[in-house]
Amino acid sequence: MSDVATPTAILKENVWTSNPIFMQVLGICSALAVTNLLVNTWIMTLGVVGVTAMSNLTVSLLKTFIPRKVRMMVQTLIIAFYVIIVDILLRAYLPDISRALGPYVGLIITNCIIMGRAEAFAQSNPPLISLWDGLTSGLGYMGVLLAIALFRELLGFGTLFGYQVLPNAFEPWIIMVMPPSAFFLLGILIWVAKSIMIKQGEPV
Amino acid sequence: MNKQSFVYTVVFTFVVAFIFVALLAGANAMTVEQVRFNQQIRRQRAILTAMDVPYETEQEVAEIFDNVEEVEYNGVSLLQLDFDGETRYAQEVSGGGVWGTIRVILGIQSDGERLLGIEVLEHNETPGLGGRIDEDWFKRQFREKKIIDGTIELNEQPGEGDFDPDSGRIDRITGATGTSTSMRRIINASLEEVLPVLGGER
Amino acid sequence: MSPEINPLALFVASIFTSNILLANFLGMCSFISISKDMKSSNGLGLAVTLVLFVTAGMNWVVYNLVLVPLGLEYLRYIIFIVVIASIVQIIEMIIDRVSPRLYITLGIFLPLITVNCAILGVSLFMEIRQYSFVQSLTYGLGSGLGWWLAIMLLAAIRRRVEKAPVPAGLKGPGITVITIGFMAMAFIGFGGMLPVQ
Repeated sequence: MSDVATPTAILKENVWTSNPIFMQVLGICSALAVTNLLVNTWIMTLGVVGVTAMSNLTVSLLKTFIPRKVRMMVQTLIIAFYVIIVDILLRAYLPDISRALGPYVGLIITNCIIMGRAEAFAQSNPPLISLWDGLTSGLGYMGVLLAIALFRELLGFGTLFGYQVLPNAFEPWIIMVMPPSAFFLLGILIWVAKSIMIKQGEPV
Repeated sequence: MNKQSFVYTVVFTFVVAFIFVALLAGANAMTVEQVRFNQQIRRQRAILTAMDVPYETEQEVAEIFDNVEEVEYNGVSLLQLDFDGETRYAQEVSGGGVWGTIRVILGIQSDGERLLGIEVLEHNETPGLGGRIDEDWFKRQFREKKIIDGTIELNEQPGEGDFDPDSGRIDRITGATGTSTSMRRIINASLEEVLPVLGGER
Repeated sequence: MSPEINPLALFVASIFTSNILLANFLGMCSFISISKDMKSSNGLGLAVTLVLFVTAGMNWVVYNLVLVPLGLEYLRYIIFIVVIASIVQIIEMIIDRVSPRLYITLGIFLPLITVNCAILGVSLFMEIRQYSFVQSLTYGLGSGLGWWLAIMLLAAIRRRVEKAPVPAGLKGPGITVITIGFMAMAFIGFGGMLPVQ
């Protein structure tokens, strides 16, 4: 953590230098499976951003009232509450996407990033800056997954957000639709990001 | 009040849990109707798509669907629609996939010569593998597919779609042989039931 | 209504052809951090398998005999996580009493498991696919064994990779994730060999 928690410093840290995916490969379980289409990834990560931000805000607001013994449990309860809200909203207003995401929405609960931010930041910071921290952490996560989905959909289907962009002559790469490609792309993204960081002299 | 005391802990946990659960119950109750409506619309759309009936707006779906009748011939229940001067049939069928029940709507021409199309209502196959049965190319293979010897068969090798309507065959999905054979089994079980009825007296 | 699937087929499929980790991406967090070391991998694999088997059965009972009759299905996420956390605690206590030696091996891994997405994932899949009790148990056990197999294989590979000259930016998580990708490809190959998928 940086010593002075200014909003811009938090932004840079959460999206780039301490991006949880690049540094520890945290929290990808709930979302990697849906990265074969941009639309699904977009909605899914939007849900994660919302849940991270709101649970951070709530934990920060309640922090002085939460007894130490049940802290983890209450945090889990707060996170689960927002995840269920997301699930209910999707079911009612975006049924097709809700069907495509299936149980992966529920798995946002076990996304280590959300619990990690609540514990590491919201627990000891005022509400507004916690909201911002949650929001930016979610955005860092969203960026990486959208990048993966961009390549998977473009090369696997020849489309972006469902619109045909590559000519019909383009032969889709079936491997991009299948699970292993998500691992390859994530590995390559981590490689690129870390190489840039090393060049810039950031501590890796 | 001592915040670490036992009583406070229990009361706090209870109150927080109660508030959250109450809020969730409210949100759930507010959307129940919408969810039910969504499911109904989805089923109607799926049936029309499987019958190869074009539609654009939700209103159009509702209008066309008004003419869909549930009929029963010799104990076999079918959905029937007169469209474009011909009678079209569809049946909702389900069966076990690799991971869970697969439910599909199968559209069939009235003479039982060809399929009209299929639409997947529900499945739980692995995304990127068996889950690809819900992709457009896979379903498009069934359009006007000739039914040979009362069945639809799979090609030996996986591929990106067999779009020859006269082949009577479809391509299996790469890495998902089980899901592909499940689809074949589910469809053929339905054909076995429906074809004798269509061929018979009507 | 439960799907017509042979529980045995489910068992084999969940270990090989659609490995919970390699095809569904579940349980990645602890997978990558722990797989550095074979001994820990073994311990964690055993713990995950045990907890998965028990929680799949327990959550089936809670969901089908309590939540469904009461019409509280929408609370399942909270209830599942509470059941998982309690079961992990109970298993921890039982192991401590019965076999202190096993407790030393498993003890440190058990708390990690509550937040392992594979555990919640199996419960959610079991619910959404409407498995019967027996199907849930074999699916839970198979997924656990599949996860165990995958982490042992990865730990073994990582020992070799450590000695290989890897570009600086790719070291650590990067090369590990790509290795998992190759494993996932290899596991898809089981689809052609085993009749179940």
